[in-house]
Amino acid sequence: MTAAATPIRRRLMSVLLLTSGAVMLTTSAAFCAYDFLTYRQQTANNLATLGAAIAANSTAALAFQNPDDAREVLSALKADNHIVNATLYTPAGEPFASYPATSHGVRTAASLQDGYRFAGGYLIGVQPVVQGERRMGTLYLKADLSALHQRLQSFGLIAALVMAVTCAIAYLLSNRLQRQISQPILALTRTVGDISTRRDYTLRALRPHGHELGQLADAFNNLLVQVEGAQRRLHSQLGRLDLLHRITRAIGERQDPPSIFQVLLRNLEDELPVDFGCIGLYDPAAADAIAIVTIGTGSRRFSQVLEINDQLRVPIDQNGLARCVSGELVYEPDVGAIGFPFPQRFARAGIFSLVLAPLLLQKRVFGVLVVARRAPEAFSSSDCEFLRQLSEHVALATHQAQLYGALQQAYDELRQSQHTIMQQERLRALGQMASGIAHDINNAISPIALYTESLLEREPGLSDRARNYLTTIRRAIEDVAQTVARMREFYRSREPDLSLARVNLNRLVEQVIQLTRARWSDVPLQKGVVISLRTDLLSDLPDIMGSETEIRDALTNLVFNATDAMPEGGALTFRTRTSNPVDGEPLVHAEVSDTGVGMDEETRRRCLEPFYTTKGERGTGLGLAMVYGMIQRHSAELQIDSAVGQGTTVRLTFVPAQADLLTVKQPILKCEATCLRLLLVDDDPLLIKSVKDILEADGHTVVTADGGQRGIDTFQAAHRNGTPFALVITDLGMPYVDGRRVAAATKAESPETPVILMTGWGRRLIAENEIPPHVDRILSKPPKLAELRAALADLTSGEPSAAPAALRERTL
Amino acid sequence: MAALTARAAVGWVLSACILLLLMSCPVRGEVAPSEYRVKAVFLFNFAQFVEWPPESFKDASKPFVIGILGADPFEGELDAVVRGETVAKRPFVIERYHDVSDLQNCNILYISRPQIGHLPQILSALKGRSVLTVSDADRADQAGVMIRLINQNNRIRMQIDVGAARAGKLTISSKLLRPAEIVGDSRE
Repeated sequence: MTAAATPIRRRLMSVLLLTSGAVMLTTSAAFCAYDFLTYRQQTANNLATLGAAIAANSTAALAFQNPDDAREVLSALKADNHIVNATLYTPAGEPFASYPATSHGVRTAASLQDGYRFAGGYLIGVQPVVQGERRMGTLYLKADLSALHQRLQSFGLIAALVMAVTCAIAYLLSNRLQRQISQPILALTRTVGDISTRRDYTLRALRPHGHELGQLADAFNNLLVQVEGAQRRLHSQLGRLDLLHRITRAIGERQDPPSIFQVLLRNLEDELPVDFGCIGLYDPAAADAIAIVTIGTGSRRFSQVLEINDQLRVPIDQNGLARCVSGELVYEPDVGAIGFPFPQRFARAGIFSLVLAPLLLQKRVFGVLVVARRAPEAFSSSDCEFLRQLSEHVALATHQAQLYGALQQAYDELRQSQHTIMQQERLRALGQMASGIAHDINNAISPIALYTESLLEREPGLSDRARNYLTTIRRAIEDVAQTVARMREFYRSREPDLSLARVNLNRLVEQVIQLTRARWSDVPLQKGVVISLRTDLLSDLPDIMGSETEIRDALTNLVFNATDAMPEGGALTFRTRTSNPVDGEPLVHAEVSDTGVGMDEETRRRCLEPFYTTKGERGTGLGLAMVYGMIQRHSAELQIDSAVGQGTTVRLTFVPAQADLLTVKQPILKCEATCLRLLLVDDDPLLIKSVKDILEADGHTVVTADGGQRGIDTFQAAHRNGTPFALVITDLGMPYVDGRRVAAATKAESPETPVILMTGWGRRLIAENEIPPHVDRILSKPPKLAELRAALADLTSGEPSAAPAALRERTL
Repeated sequence: MAALTARAAVGWVLSACILLLLMSCPVRGEVAPSEYRVKAVFLFNFAQFVEWPPESFKDASKPFVIGILGADPFEGELDAVVRGETVAKRPFVIERYHDVSDLQNCNILYISRPQIGHLPQILSALKGRSVLTVSDADRADQAGVMIRLINQNNRIRMQIDVGAARAGKLTISSKLLRPAEIVGDSRE
């Protein structure tokens, strides 16, 4: 400090001393010069006066040539000891008289100019001696300047003395005076030094007395105030930036808007902080209100007083929300002064500062961030700016979350679609395979079925045992046929027209128990798992109207699910009962219960969705969906009671059947009316033989053709030979020429001749309304005697109407 | 003429000696002026140191007249001295008077030695007129002559009768009085 202080002190001192010294020097020099000049002039004037006097007194001496007199006159100069020489010259320039007497100033006055001048340290005067108008001669005077020099010396001495004294005084004064300037400056310097070392901008310089220094200190302090403010603002900005960063990062980690809002509000409550914060969503379609969706955790203590909850809809009127939803940040420094209901809520709760920040996305407001503080005017402009920026970030994050959600959903849907397509493809392949197998099986069992029926019908002499065996064979064949039919149901893409019939649920349950025994009993037992079966069936259960097959399939699926739900074993319970609601008819219920793992809420909610499965690759996700489809087609109800670990109960509720609406037609047992000439076309010799045998047993004449082309040829030949066929029975699937072409050829030859198409795919054709042209009837393999007879009767008697109904009855 | 030349030669030698003594230094190649040349210069100079009353010069064009009474001893020196000179813009005129009866109106009257014997007549003739009378007569009876030129050790000295001058209404400059000797006022 001292080292730094010395220069300014010394400099101030030297400035003051130099100034005073220079002033003194200049003054003295000017004074001396003036005195020198005036004294010199005065000396010259004095000499001139003296010269004039001498000259005047010398005229007569010169005129009358009296050197003694002239010398006497000149001797008067003795009084002035500075006169070195005085000489009188005649007009001719010759010396006339001198003082001192023996020395002449110059040898001749001829070259002398009149006047007085300084030369060589002397004052030389040449004075004309004039009497009247006549020049009598010349006076030469020479005076030394020692007086002048003496005077100058004494003056210099005095000046030096005065200067010395002045400088001494100036030193003392300046030493004292400079402190008035240097000390405040040094103090200021110290303050600046302290500030820069400590970086403490709250320090202030002392205000010294004195105008400029005071102003300097004031200005410096003002600067400090500004710096301090700027630094505080900077700190606050940095803090804000950090907070913004943290909040942005926090909300960036969230992917759904509610959690983004929650994080945002918690951060605002803790960090900004605010006393209250909530977020409302704004739907431009319903532009009259803001729906509050999220309230900050810490803000909930105000919810009661504010009457703001998660479901509140705040109407938009003139309460600032209108401005906010137009995209403007609204700051109400004192809501107490605003008369509208929404601000008044806050005023009642003791919250006075309110900021509404719009959540803007692509210039459209989709929400409002509401933050509030208790004190009035509690938000600074930087707060507002911060909130504005924050709301932009939040809007962006929300938008991204929405985009993410939409993307996730699209992805899920895509995956599900892909899954569905794969499943469908799998089913289609399976179905095709099943269909092929079914076709072959149907073909294969057709002779068995036909002969068995024929034997039972036409051989009265059969022993009881044989009859019993044949009956068993017939039932087995029927079962095989139905199994094959059900197998094909798997890939059926469209439901056939539902043919309702009276169904006894108890009987169906029994059938299902038998059908699924392998699944719920045999397979688990192999793993040492025991599933006990319980049945609780109402004995006189009313029939219902429905599709036996579908209901059976549904129950089968339920058994499968129940079994799968009990990997550790348990109880499988079937229950049938009725209920009597107050208004209306009694309802019929069938329940399948297990004691397995049960379903959680999510699974319970989604379990009816197609392709939703909890079984992984083992499941198709179609079981319960099929059940649900059946329920809908039957106008029935489905109820699932389940909880995790509590097992599952699925209850199917049906409307009971009305009293006999349909009577089952009595099957036509034999050909009673006419015996017909028939053409039978097939490529399977066994089938041809069996059908031919059966029909011939009924009295018909049967001509067979092995293959489509032969059939057509035979038909044409017979028709042209005048022995036409009353009816053509043809197989559908044949090599080279199939049943369709046989039918077409037949109709081309004889449009009136009915054509019956027999097919292992028959059900499928019916289901898909694909009865080909030129075909009057389709019979599925294995053909039933009754069906065959009914079809023949219908088509040849000219009344074809009842056939489809009869056919449908047989579908089960 | 020869005598005159001899005299002049003697005078020149004398003058040279006087000048040598007077100036205490040798004058290179200069010839000391004759006595009458000095006296001519004196006459001329008197016009400078003496004031005449205004009535003496009523006419502006009136010349300043120097009269020589009696035989002219100046041998043309006076003419030479005043030639071309003026006093108060008046040219000098030299008039020569043979005797008292010839006296005209003049300003300075030089009375030659032979005429000094007629001094009373002269003075009476000049009575009432402002004429500066000058004489170089050796005689002691020059009473009444205003300025007397005396050769004293070869130096021309002046004796001035202030009373006579005052009677002639002439003012003699005090400067003129310094190198001169003031003599008694014989008339009063």
